[in-house]
Amino acid sequence: MSTPEHGFFTDVTLCIGCKACEVACKQWNQLPADGYAFSGNSYDNTNGLSATTWRHVAFVEQMDRVEPSASRWMMMSDVCKHCTNAGCLEACPTGAIVRNEFGDVYVQPDVCNGCGYCVPSCPFGVVAIQPEAGVAQKCTLCYDRQKDGLEPACAKSCPTDSITFGPVEELRALAEARVAKLHAEGREAHLYGVDGPETRDVGALNAFFLIPDRPEVFNLPPKPVLPSKFQRAAYTSGLLGALALTAVGLAVFRPKPWSA
Amino acid sequence: MDATEKHGAQFAAGGAYGPDAVADSMQRGDGGFGRDQQTYYDHPVLQKPHWKWEVVTYFFIGGMAAASSALAALAASGGDPDDALLVRNARYSALAGALASGALLVKDLGRPERFLNMLRIVKLKSPMSVGVYALSVFSMNAGVRALEQLHADGHAPFAVPGWLAKPLRVTTGAPATALMACYTGVLVSATAIPVWFTGRRHIPAIFVCSAVSTGAALQNALLVLTGGSARTAKKLAIVELIASCAEAVLLLHWRLSAGESAKPLFRGARGRRLERFTLVGGLALPALLLLPSVLSRRPRHDRLLGLTAAVAALFGGYVLRESIVHAGRDSADDARAYLRHPE
Ligand code: SF4
Ligand code: SF4
Repeated sequence: MSTPEHGFFTDVTLCIGCKACEVACKQWNQLPADGYAFSGNSYDNTNGLSATTWRHVAFVEQMDRVEPSASRWMMMSDVCKHCTNAGCLEACPTGAIVRNEFGDVYVQPDVCNGCGYCVPSCPFGVVAIQPEAGVAQKCTLCYDRQKDGLEPACAKSCPTDSITFGPVEELRALAEARVAKLHAEGREAHLYGVDGPETRDVGALNAFFLIPDRPEVFNLPPKPVLPSKFQRAAYTSGLLGALALTAVGLAVFRPKPWSA
Repeated sequence: MDATEKHGAQFAAGGAYGPDAVADSMQRGDGGFGRDQQTYYDHPVLQKPHWKWEVVTYFFIGGMAAASSALAALAASGGDPDDALLVRNARYSALAGALASGALLVKDLGRPERFLNMLRIVKLKSPMSVGVYALSVFSMNAGVRALEQLHADGHAPFAVPGWLAKPLRVTTGAPATALMACYTGVLVSATAIPVWFTGRRHIPAIFVCSAVSTGAALQNALLVLTGGSARTAKKLAIVELIASCAEAVLLLHWRLSAGESAKPLFRGARGRRLERFTLVGGLALPALLLLPSVLSRRPRHDRLLGLTAAVAALFGGYVLRESIVHAGRDSADDARAYLRHPE
């Protein structure tokens, strides 16, 4: 591959919760609105990623009663992780989900037939079926813009550079430097999706995050599973069952029944 | 459910926080904004599978078709002339089941006209791909077998040439049938849904047992309706009894060994329904009804008893598939169960 893998580095400590990324993504990708709803969860009325929402800004409020100055309000712009070992890609029976020349996990909308198997196979709950289109949809990492040498719409619109787009290797160096700086200031910071326990099954994430708290707080699984690893046990169970019952059938229908 | 509805339902169900989050925050006394959140407002981490009744019915009918075809092959290999009617019924019903399975699978797609895209690649890593090929090969074999039977019954003017039918059957028959019976269990097990992947050692075997118990029940009912011999019915009853026992043992073992993540299946209304219609109605009741004919040296054919047992077993098998598929949806909604990484 001549082009290096490209991805996102999303830094929670820089996000101001303006939701420009959500809007830019909807606009560029011509995604329909999701209706007006009041969730009551801080400033978040989007609630989560979906087939028609490919960036979602989470708002986490933490009030410290004992030490009010330690209270925090954190925002995180969530997105498809473009996993190294992508559950959605492994599950897809039509080959609609591919890894493109920029290293992104991409759903080809003209190949997908809407079987829906990628949906429960994504350990991050990202990809979903869009009922009107009948196909699975998720972040494309703005494949179309990348082909024209542009950065994705969300990164372009982010006023604080909380979302940075670029070659993954460079982004990682940037992220390590940022973590070192925050630690030097005495602040909490971890990278999610570079080499922690979360990469055990899914590998490094091309869209990774800097988070100042445990992953659960942002609904990020601390140890996301790669569903295909359950196949061995499952096939063993099923085929042993089939073998055993075939033996029963052979005995019962053998040429000379004992009951004759 | 669109977003507005979804949020509305969430709001109606006690506001922005799930019941667990409310309990947490009451304990902390911080109005829900402490520093030890377990999840993000209990919003689901995973997306729900969209599978509806088509898939439930497909799991059910596909299993029965596989078992019917296996019973036809076993009975034919035994060569007991009494069993000829079973062979005939089972071959026809296997083809009917295969055709219905294909139709249901296509109907469930978001874009049914693109069904053939499934056949543009072979992907052993994807149980969905493996399953589609298992179903295709199985259907082909079922079609050839049914044609042969039609010819033997004098209804078809031509026979399938032996040089074509035999090698096909020998090489692909058994593997396709076995996969047909179990791959749906693998399909759900190999996902990120906690209730499904924590059940990966049980679900596929349970699906196979259920395929055989419902398949044998179906053949028993058909035998009653077409006036088959009591000896054949007894053999079917033995197979059904053993499969049902194995299924019940596996289900109970799963239930006893399962942790919190299997709650959506075994607790509450769904758990009671599973207990009532699958464990008791679908497995224990038919077994009790069939036991006398299995134990007696000279089996009599009690038509009413046979039909009752069959209907109960079939309904139990359907409820089993439905419960497991629906439990997957609720499990996907439970952020805590998933974030606790329950492997
Ligand atoms: S986050 Fe989910 S949808 Fe995105 S690449 Fe990974 S498995 Fe696929
Ligand atoms: S819904 Fe589309 S993208 Fe997802 S697994 Fe099925 S064919 Fe592949």
